[in-house]
Amino acid sequence: MTEVSLDALGPVDYVVVEFPAGASSFTGEMAKELRALVDSGTIRVIDVLILTKDADGTVEATELSDVEDLGELQVLETELGELLAADDVENLAAAMDPGSTAGVLIWENLWAAPFASAARRSGGQLIADGRIPIQAIIASIEADQATATTGD
Amino acid sequence: MPLRPARAGRVGVIRAPVAKTAVVAAAVTPGRAPVAKTAVVAAAVSPRVGRRRI
Repeated sequence: MTEVSLDALGPVDYVVVEFPAGASSFTGEMAKELRALVDSGTIRVIDVLILTKDADGTVEATELSDVEDLGELQVLETELGELLAADDVENLAAAMDPGSTAGVLIWENLWAAPFASAARRSGGQLIADGRIPIQAIIASIEADQATATTGD
Repeated sequence: MPLRPARAGRVGVIRAPVAKTAVVAAAVTPGRAPVAKTAVVAAAVSPRVGRRRI
């Protein structure tokens, strides 16, 4: 793995994508899109784990390297940083339903790194960040519409 | 299969149990007018032209 200086590090995010029992349909589309994000320099994949949660709640974690036929992800696997610790597995799996499988993806937002560095050099400090769920946008719009309708 | 030994005995970076978020796939649910709802959301995040916050 190429060493990254702390000042040049972009924000690091994660997602846990759950596949309910019997609902997964792996066509390679996800891997292709992930690879495109990496190849375009938009993100750098830092870590990947595959989690399974049994019906009784027992969680098992699998390294990406232990997955057969990685396809598009083969190149990414050699660049992983193993940021996650064994202790993280239970916390990540807490969101999963029994009987499901989940992919955990940790990535660096390379696109944001130059801006973040510039902000720091300018004396700025990151004091908050977050994500606005689409559900919140819908709720806001619907509340506006309701207000407009009632005239409040 | 076991995790790599390098992952054992380290302090984790996910500090607390992760709560399940609302499923984004269901954000714009098929309802009375799902297409209209999608259009309204798209308009809300589009460049502002002639709209005012207050």
